[in-house]
Amino acid sequence: MNRRDEILAIVLSALESLNEELDEAARVEIGPTTPLFGADATLDSLSLVSVIVDVETALTMKWDAPISLTDDRAMSREVSPFDDVGTLTDYILELLQETSPA
Amino acid sequence: MHDESPSPPIQLPGAAPELVGEFVVLRALTVDDAAITHEWRLGGRAKRLNGAAASLEDQRRWISNRPGSEFNYVIQLIDGPPVGTLSLVDIDMTNRRAESARFLIGDEAAAKGAPAAVEAMKLLYELAFDRLGLERVYGLIAQQNHLMIKWQKYLGMKEEGRLRRHFLMDGEFVDAISLGLLAEEYRAQTLPRMKALLAMGRQRTAED
Repeated sequence: MNRRDEILAIVLSALESLNEELDEAARVEIGPTTPLFGADATLDSLSLVSVIVDVETALTMKWDAPISLTDDRAMSREVSPFDDVGTLTDYILELLQETSPA
Repeated sequence: MHDESPSPPIQLPGAAPELVGEFVVLRALTVDDAAITHEWRLGGRAKRLNGAAASLEDQRRWISNRPGSEFNYVIQLIDGPPVGTLSLVDIDMTNRRAESARFLIGDEAAAKGAPAAVEAMKLLYELAFDRLGLERVYGLIAQQNHLMIKWQKYLGMKEEGRLRRHFLMDGEFVDAISLGLLAEEYRAQTLPRMKALLAMGRQRTAED
Protein backbone atom coordinates (compact mmCIF):
# COMPACT_ATOMS: atom_id res chain seq x y z
CA MET A 1 0.00 0.00 0.00
CA ASN A 2 1.50 3.35 -0.97
CA ARG A 3 1.31 6.37 1.25
CA ARG A 4 -1.61 7.92 -0.59
CA ASP A 5 -3.62 4.72 -0.14
CA GLU A 6 -2.75 4.68 3.56
CA ILE A 7 -3.99 8.25 3.94
CA LEU A 8 -7.12 7.47 1.97
CA ALA A 9 -7.81 4.53 4.29
CA ILE A 10 -7.52 6.87 7.30
CA VAL A 11 -9.97 9.37 5.81
CA LEU A 12 -12.46 6.64 4.90
CA SER A 13 -12.12 5.13 8.37
CA ALA A 14 -12.96 8.53 9.90
CA LEU A 15 -16.11 8.65 7.77
CA GLU A 16 -17.03 5.14 8.88
CA SER A 17 -16.64 6.20 12.51
CA LEU A 18 -18.84 9.20 11.80
CA ASN A 19 -21.53 6.99 10.31
CA GLU A 20 -21.59 4.93 13.49
CA GLU A 21 -22.68 8.08 15.32
CA LEU A 22 -25.34 9.15 12.84
CA ASP A 23 -28.88 7.93 12.39
CA GLU A 24 -29.36 5.69 9.38
CA ALA A 25 -31.06 8.42 7.35
CA ALA A 26 -28.20 10.84 7.97
CA ARG A 27 -25.33 8.49 7.11
CA VAL A 28 -22.98 9.44 4.31
CA GLU A 29 -22.04 7.32 1.34
CA ILE A 30 -18.37 6.54 1.69
CA GLY A 31 -15.95 6.45 -1.22
CA PRO A 32 -12.85 8.11 -2.67
CA THR A 33 -14.90 10.92 -4.24
CA THR A 34 -17.37 11.55 -1.42
CA PRO A 35 -18.04 15.32 -1.21
CA LEU A 36 -17.21 16.68 2.22
CA PHE A 37 -17.70 20.39 2.82
CA GLY A 38 -17.97 21.73 -0.71
CA ALA A 39 -20.78 22.79 -2.99
CA ASP A 40 -22.39 19.33 -2.85
CA ALA A 41 -21.77 19.08 0.85
CA THR A 42 -22.25 15.78 2.60
CA LEU A 43 -21.29 16.98 6.07
CA ASP A 44 -22.46 19.68 8.40
CA SER A 45 -19.82 21.37 10.54
CA LEU A 46 -20.48 19.04 13.49
CA SER A 47 -19.70 16.01 11.36
CA LEU A 48 -16.78 17.73 9.66
CA VAL A 49 -15.07 18.37 12.99
CA SER A 50 -15.48 14.71 13.89
CA VAL A 51 -13.68 13.73 10.69
CA ILE A 52 -10.94 16.33 11.25
CA VAL A 53 -10.29 15.14 14.81
CA ASP A 54 -10.21 11.45 13.86
CA VAL A 55 -7.94 12.03 10.84
CA GLU A 56 -5.52 14.26 12.76
CA THR A 57 -5.33 11.71 15.57
CA ALA A 58 -4.70 8.81 13.20
CA LEU A 59 -2.03 10.72 11.27
CA THR A 60 -0.22 11.61 14.46
CA MET A 61 -0.29 8.00 15.63
CA LYS A 62 0.84 6.54 12.32
CA TRP A 63 3.57 9.00 11.33
CA ASP A 64 4.34 10.61 14.68
CA ALA A 65 3.84 13.95 12.95
CA PRO A 66 1.41 16.45 14.44
CA ILE A 67 -0.70 17.64 11.52
CA SER A 68 -3.19 20.50 11.64
CA LEU A 69 -5.79 20.33 8.92
CA THR A 70 -7.36 23.68 9.73
CA ASP A 71 -4.44 26.07 9.88
CA ASP A 72 -4.10 29.25 7.82
CA ARG A 73 -2.46 27.36 5.01
CA ALA A 74 -5.44 25.09 4.49
CA MET A 75 -7.85 27.98 4.64
CA SER A 76 -5.94 30.16 2.20
CA ARG A 77 -5.97 27.62 -0.63
CA GLU A 78 -8.05 28.43 -3.65
CA VAL A 79 -9.63 24.98 -3.68
CA SER A 80 -10.69 23.82 -0.26
CA PRO A 81 -8.85 20.71 0.98
CA PHE A 82 -12.22 19.63 2.32
CA ASP A 83 -13.96 19.65 -1.04
CA ASP A 84 -14.08 15.85 -1.15
CA VAL A 85 -12.23 12.77 0.07
CA GLY A 86 -9.76 12.99 -2.81
CA THR A 87 -8.75 16.62 -2.23
CA LEU A 88 -8.35 15.98 1.49
CA THR A 89 -6.20 12.91 0.82
CA ASP A 90 -3.98 14.84 -1.59
CA TYR A 91 -3.66 17.75 0.82
CA ILE A 92 -2.57 15.45 3.65
CA LEU A 93 -0.11 13.73 1.32
CA GLU A 94 1.38 17.14 0.54
CA LEU A 95 1.69 18.01 4.25
CA LEU A 96 3.25 14.68 5.10
CA GLN A 97 5.80 14.93 2.31
CA GLU A 98 7.05 18.11 3.98
CA THR A 99 6.94 17.00 7.61
CA SER A 100 7.66 13.31 7.24
CA PRO A 101 9.20 12.50 3.85
CA ALA A 102 8.79 8.87 2.74
CA MET B 1 -22.64 41.37 6.16
CA HIS B 2 -21.48 41.06 9.74
CA ASP B 3 -22.04 44.34 11.57
CA GLU B 4 -18.75 45.43 13.18
CA SER B 5 -20.16 48.56 14.89
CA PRO B 6 -20.06 48.69 18.72
CA SER B 7 -22.82 46.63 20.32
CA PRO B 8 -25.24 48.26 22.76
CA PRO B 9 -25.05 47.30 26.46
CA ILE B 10 -27.07 44.26 27.50
CA GLN B 11 -29.75 44.43 30.17
CA LEU B 12 -30.27 41.45 32.46
CA PRO B 13 -32.90 40.22 32.88
CA GLY B 14 -34.06 41.22 29.44
CA ALA B 15 -34.77 40.21 25.90
CA ALA B 16 -32.13 38.24 24.06
CA PRO B 17 -30.18 40.63 21.81
CA GLU B 18 -30.14 39.61 18.16
CA LEU B 19 -26.72 38.34 17.10
CA VAL B 20 -25.89 38.70 13.43
CA GLY B 21 -23.09 36.78 11.77
CA GLU B 22 -21.94 36.11 8.25
CA PHE B 23 -23.79 32.83 7.73
CA VAL B 24 -26.40 32.81 10.50
CA VAL B 25 -28.35 35.11 12.74
CA LEU B 26 -29.32 34.22 16.29
CA ARG B 27 -32.76 35.67 16.93
CA ALA B 28 -34.80 35.41 20.09
CA LEU B 29 -36.92 32.28 20.42
CA THR B 30 -40.64 33.10 20.50
CA VAL B 31 -43.82 31.08 20.83
CA ASP B 32 -44.17 31.35 17.06
CA ASP B 33 -41.21 28.95 16.90
CA ALA B 34 -43.02 26.31 18.96
CA ALA B 35 -44.02 24.11 16.02
CA ILE B 36 -40.63 23.93 14.34
CA THR B 37 -38.62 23.60 17.54
CA HIS B 38 -40.98 20.88 18.77
CA GLU B 39 -40.49 19.03 15.48
CA TRP B 40 -36.70 19.32 15.85
CA ARG B 41 -36.85 18.08 19.44
CA LEU B 42 -38.58 14.93 18.23
CA GLY B 43 -35.99 14.38 15.45
CA GLY B 44 -33.04 12.01 15.27
CA ARG B 45 -30.24 14.21 16.55
CA ALA B 46 -32.30 15.40 19.50
CA LYS B 47 -32.47 11.86 20.85
CA ARG B 48 -29.22 12.57 22.68
CA LEU B 49 -30.68 15.61 24.42
CA ASN B 50 -32.79 15.46 27.54
CA GLY B 51 -36.56 15.20 27.31
CA ALA B 52 -38.62 17.22 24.85
CA ALA B 53 -42.04 18.75 25.55
CA ALA B 54 -44.72 16.12 25.16
CA SER B 55 -46.96 18.20 22.92
CA LEU B 56 -46.93 21.34 20.82
CA GLU B 57 -48.97 23.09 23.48
CA ASP B 58 -46.39 22.09 26.09
CA GLN B 59 -43.67 23.49 23.85
CA ARG B 60 -45.55 26.80 23.53
CA ARG B 61 -45.97 26.94 27.29
CA TRP B 62 -42.31 26.10 27.86
CA ILE B 63 -41.17 28.86 25.52
CA SER B 64 -43.48 31.47 27.03
CA ASN B 65 -42.25 30.58 30.54
CA ARG B 66 -38.55 31.13 29.85
CA PRO B 67 -37.13 33.47 32.50
CA GLY B 68 -35.48 36.77 31.66
CA SER B 69 -32.15 35.44 32.91
CA GLU B 70 -31.94 33.17 29.87
CA PHE B 71 -31.14 34.07 26.30
CA ASN B 72 -32.86 31.52 24.08
CA TYR B 73 -32.15 31.65 20.37
CA VAL B 74 -33.24 30.24 17.06
CA ILE B 75 -30.32 29.74 14.66
CA GLN B 76 -31.44 31.04 11.28
CA LEU B 77 -29.44 30.97 8.07
CA ILE B 78 -28.86 34.43 6.62
CA ASP B 79 -31.60 34.80 3.99
CA GLY B 80 -32.59 31.21 4.73
CA PRO B 81 -34.63 28.99 7.01
CA PRO B 82 -34.25 28.44 10.74
CA VAL B 83 -32.02 25.42 11.34
CA GLY B 84 -31.63 25.02 15.08
CA THR B 85 -31.56 26.36 18.61
CA LEU B 86 -28.97 27.57 21.10
CA SER B 87 -29.24 29.15 24.53
CA LEU B 88 -27.19 30.88 27.20
CA VAL B 89 -28.81 30.08 30.54
CA ASP B 90 -28.15 30.49 34.25
CA ILE B 91 -26.33 33.73 33.52
CA ASP B 92 -24.64 34.65 36.78
CA MET B 93 -23.15 38.15 36.61
CA THR B 94 -21.89 37.91 40.20
CA ASN B 95 -19.66 34.94 39.48
CA ARG B 96 -19.42 35.83 35.77
CA ARG B 97 -20.42 32.47 34.39
CA ALA B 98 -23.21 30.95 32.33
CA GLU B 99 -24.23 27.67 30.78
CA SER B 100 -24.47 27.08 27.03
CA ALA B 101 -27.42 24.82 26.47
CA ARG B 102 -30.15 23.53 24.13
CA PHE B 103 -27.74 23.39 21.21
CA LEU B 104 -29.45 21.57 18.38
CA ILE B 105 -29.15 21.63 14.61
CA GLY B 106 -32.64 20.45 13.80
CA ASP B 107 -32.60 20.91 10.03
CA GLU B 108 -29.43 19.03 9.15
CA ALA B 109 -30.10 19.13 5.40
CA ALA B 110 -30.29 22.93 5.31
CA ALA B 111 -27.14 23.26 7.43
CA LYS B 112 -24.95 20.96 5.36
CA GLY B 113 -21.94 22.71 3.87
CA ALA B 114 -22.50 25.88 5.88
CA PRO B 115 -20.67 26.49 9.16
CA ALA B 116 -23.97 27.22 10.87
CA ALA B 117 -23.20 25.42 14.12
CA VAL B 118 -19.74 26.95 14.39
CA GLU B 119 -20.87 30.49 13.77
CA ALA B 120 -23.86 30.12 16.08
CA MET B 121 -21.56 29.06 18.90
CA LYS B 122 -19.08 31.81 18.01
CA LEU B 123 -21.83 34.42 18.27
CA LEU B 124 -22.90 33.02 21.63
CA TYR B 125 -19.31 33.03 22.95
CA GLU B 126 -18.84 36.62 21.76
CA LEU B 127 -21.96 37.54 23.68
CA ALA B 128 -20.78 35.68 26.77
CA PHE B 129 -17.10 36.59 26.89
CA ASP B 130 -16.88 39.90 25.01
CA ARG B 131 -20.18 41.63 25.72
CA LEU B 132 -21.19 40.19 29.09
CA GLY B 133 -17.57 39.87 30.28
CA LEU B 134 -18.05 36.35 31.59
CA GLU B 135 -15.07 34.34 32.79
CA ARG B 136 -16.50 30.91 32.19
CA VAL B 137 -19.04 29.12 30.03
CA TYR B 138 -19.90 25.54 30.83
CA GLY B 139 -22.22 22.82 29.67
CA LEU B 140 -23.42 19.29 30.16
CA ILE B 141 -23.62 16.72 27.37
CA ALA B 142 -25.02 13.20 27.58
CA GLN B 143 -22.14 10.74 27.50
CA GLN B 144 -23.37 8.99 24.36
CA ASN B 145 -23.49 12.24 22.38
CA HIS B 146 -19.99 11.57 21.10
CA LEU B 147 -20.17 13.96 18.14
CA MET B 148 -21.07 16.93 20.31
CA ILE B 149 -18.46 16.10 22.95
CA LYS B 150 -15.79 15.76 20.28
CA TRP B 151 -16.91 19.01 18.64
CA GLN B 152 -16.91 21.00 21.87
CA LYS B 153 -13.49 19.69 22.86
CA TYR B 154 -12.05 20.52 19.44
CA LEU B 155 -13.36 24.05 19.94
CA GLY B 156 -11.61 24.40 23.26
CA MET B 157 -13.91 23.11 25.96
CA LYS B 158 -12.20 21.04 28.65
CA GLU B 159 -13.73 18.00 30.29
CA GLU B 160 -14.21 18.79 33.96
CA GLY B 161 -16.05 15.79 35.26
CA ARG B 162 -18.86 13.29 34.98
CA LEU B 163 -22.25 13.52 36.62
CA ARG B 164 -23.45 10.00 37.10
CA ARG B 165 -26.96 9.10 35.95
CA HIS B 166 -27.69 12.78 35.42
CA PHE B 167 -30.19 12.48 32.55
CA LEU B 168 -33.16 10.18 32.12
CA MET B 169 -33.41 9.40 28.40
CA ASP B 170 -35.74 6.88 26.83
CA GLY B 171 -36.33 5.38 30.25
CA GLU B 172 -32.61 4.96 31.04
CA PHE B 173 -30.37 7.02 33.26
CA VAL B 174 -27.23 8.19 31.52
CA ASP B 175 -24.13 10.03 32.70
CA ALA B 176 -23.48 13.63 31.75
CA ILE B 177 -20.04 14.89 30.76
CA SER B 178 -19.29 18.29 32.28
CA LEU B 179 -17.33 20.64 30.01
CA GLY B 180 -16.07 24.16 30.60
CA LEU B 181 -14.35 26.97 28.72
CA LEU B 182 -12.51 29.92 30.27
CA ALA B 183 -12.22 33.34 28.66
CA GLU B 184 -8.48 32.96 28.03
CA GLU B 185 -9.02 29.54 26.42
CA TYR B 186 -11.75 30.98 24.23
CA ARG B 187 -9.38 33.63 22.91
CA ALA B 188 -6.32 31.39 22.55
CA GLN B 189 -7.84 28.22 21.12
CA THR B 190 -11.53 28.51 20.36
CA LEU B 191 -11.55 31.66 18.26
CA PRO B 192 -8.73 30.62 15.87
CA ARG B 193 -10.36 27.25 15.24
CA MET B 194 -13.76 28.80 14.75
CA LYS B 195 -12.31 31.29 12.31
CA ALA B 196 -10.68 28.45 10.37
CA LEU B 197 -13.96 26.56 10.12
CA LEU B 198 -15.77 29.72 9.04
CA ALA B 199 -13.13 30.23 6.36
CA MET B 200 -14.12 26.85 4.96
CA GLY B 201 -17.61 28.21 4.53
CA ARG B 202 -16.18 31.09 2.53
CA GLN B 203 -14.16 28.71 0.36
CA ARG B 204 -17.34 26.90 -0.39
CA THR B 205 -19.04 30.14 -1.39
CA ALA B 206 -16.12 31.03 -3.63
CA GLU B 207 -16.43 27.73 -5.48
CA ASP B 208 -20.19 27.91 -5.97
